[in-house]
Amino acid sequence: MLVSAVTLGCALLLGQVETPEAAVPEVPPQEEERREAVAASLAEALAKPAPGAWDLQMAVPGADSPRQPTEGEVQCLRLPPTPEVPSGEWRARCDESKQECLVTPARELDPEGHETGQRLDRVNGCYDMLSPEVARGYRLVPAIAEAPPGWYRDERGRVLQYNFDLHRRIRVGGAWAPRWLHETQGRDDRIRVDFGVDLEWPGDTGRLHRMTLLDSELYLGDASSFDATVLRYDFRSERDEPLFRVTTFYGKPRRLDVFANLGFWMEVLHAEQVRREDVKADFLVLGSTHATLDLWHSRDLVSYVRVRAGPTVERDRTNGFFTLVPGAALEGDLTLDRNGFHHVLFGAEAQKILLAEHVEGRPLRPERLRLRAGYEVIALAINDQPVSLTLDGRGTWRDDLANAPAGWEWSAQAGLRFSLWAPARRTAPVSHDGKG
Amino acid sequence: MVALALALLLSTLPDPALSCQGQTDSGESFPTCFDPGTGWVLGTALRVQDGDPALLLRTGILVRVERSSGSKAESQWFDSHRLFLTEAWGGARKGLTFTGYEGLLRRHVDEGNILVSIGRPTGIPFPFDVALSLRAAHLERRVWEGPGWTLETGRVGLLLDPVRTNTEWGWLAVGPAASHALRHGRDGTTHELSPFTSLLLDTGWETRDGRWALRATGLAGWSFDFDGGAHFRARGDVAVEHVLLAVNDAPVSLRLAATGVLGDAGLARRDEAMLSAGLMVRPFGER
Repeated sequence: MLVSAVTLGCALLLGQVETPEAAVPEVPPQEEERREAVAASLAEALAKPAPGAWDLQMAVPGADSPRQPTEGEVQCLRLPPTPEVPSGEWRARCDESKQECLVTPARELDPEGHETGQRLDRVNGCYDMLSPEVARGYRLVPAIAEAPPGWYRDERGRVLQYNFDLHRRIRVGGAWAPRWLHETQGRDDRIRVDFGVDLEWPGDTGRLHRMTLLDSELYLGDASSFDATVLRYDFRSERDEPLFRVTTFYGKPRRLDVFANLGFWMEVLHAEQVRREDVKADFLVLGSTHATLDLWHSRDLVSYVRVRAGPTVERDRTNGFFTLVPGAALEGDLTLDRNGFHHVLFGAEAQKILLAEHVEGRPLRPERLRLRAGYEVIALAINDQPVSLTLDGRGTWRDDLANAPAGWEWSAQAGLRFSLWAPARRTAPVSHDGKG
Repeated sequence: MVALALALLLSTLPDPALSCQGQTDSGESFPTCFDPGTGWVLGTALRVQDGDPALLLRTGILVRVERSSGSKAESQWFDSHRLFLTEAWGGARKGLTFTGYEGLLRRHVDEGNILVSIGRPTGIPFPFDVALSLRAAHLERRVWEGPGWTLETGRVGLLLDPVRTNTEWGWLAVGPAASHALRHGRDGTTHELSPFTSLLLDTGWETRDGRWALRATGLAGWSFDFDGGAHFRARGDVAVEHVLLAVNDAPVSLRLAATGVLGDAGLARRDEAMLSAGLMVRPFGER
């Protein structure tokens, strides 16, 4: 191999040398014939492997090929060119004990299995060269390169994301959102446009923070209205220390530990415009702080069922006064599968408006009750950005609208939502053949 | 009651095996002894007065200090302070009592004596400890009686303790007491004075682990109006507390209390009897 390469290199080098035309003497025909004979013998020498040359023709991986492990060192490997991988550049992960290397082309393949100019994406770089002499001592097995957690790599070396964290995304969506008013038996045909930025990050041990910025829902059509929150933040925690330690003294003193996972929830600047027939009302929450108690949460704290309660300071913009609104809610946010495709939301929240001034046509201390259940499933991903189907059912009872009958309104909403960012979940598994 | 007192007395005998620390299976320790005279009291109870039940709320701060006398040898002070004790109850006989400060300062000496300085100084054995009882700003407001209130501005009692325990777990202090009170009603405010013409009793006993506590106080004697007239009045309170459990090392106790008043209840100087039973928690009540 080495000899062939040197010979070929010399030939190419010679072929590159330009001789000034004026300096080139006339070549006699005999000399020309001699040169052609040398070139032919050189080509024959290049075509015929030298004694001891490596004539391995490595096959490219197929769909059933094994996958390179994510652990261990990855090495660059240069193999004899093949029609599929003419560059001869491969990546290898070797198992010393098995004397085996899983090798994969360093570039992606086209549908016909020939390498393209696109290097493998999202792989660990190889910084050490596995020399061919050493590689000869190993059994080389074509394999599919590794992929980071939450990503899947096909036999052509392309990666695609199959695990999405919908708590970290920028979302834009739309939905058909008709509303029924129980009192008037009427139906409002509306569409919903929604937007929001969701952030989530783990804090100190056993704590998870979640924040939503600019959570907005705009209803267009009959009885146009909106609901928007500038900032919503909460954290949940998994306490190692018991919240209550109960000591009993009858018999041998014993201590019973009662664990409670408390958290915090807050909203800043939540504006809501409500419309019912000819009545319009605007409310602006300046700030709301609730204490939360998780009734259940998943090990990673992402899914939960909790209760929360606390006060809210609200401005009744229609009537021009501030109110104090204590409220309590039972709510849940469940991610049903480990790849983050299925999400269920539900909640019931009750509020009582206190310190309100007298308004003609409504009680002095109005109340609100909001019910909500929703489901979101990722239908597909475009360039690794998920597009999800959303289904929502909402019900609201309220008597805080002057000159509007107290009663229920119900809304069923179905739509699509496009999410940007949405990286793989922190708990995303490493892909296997079954995509994790 | 006597049997209970005897049981409490027996349980206070020295127990070398008494441990104030329990251990969980994981090896963590937790307190099993409590100081009934220390902590922040928060309690609620059912109060029954003349057949009328009412919900009672109770709060206050208890502080107990044991210290050696700085000036007298072989002498110890056992001081119990009660601050901002407040009881408020609803029902048909809505009312409130508030005590700004109440304290019992008891001085124990190992061998008490009286020095006779006439001629050659002689010490005569004196089988009592001395104690000082103080109370200031005791307000009583009875809404159901109409406008008006009773405010005892101050009371001091010079007491003797024949039991002479050298611990904070038991005391029996008896002696004369002087007090001044204001009684404000529809007809104005009157002053009332008891110039050591009352007898004050303050006694208590607690188990060493602090899980049982008995306290009784009594006052009987005459008080005099500034503009003439004397009134005999008597009052007795007894309360038993038992620690049921502890939450975050704060004891939660059952408290049973009884009060009898003769000619001293409210502006009308009524006779009354009250019973109450309830729960209270005492954060920072660990011994």
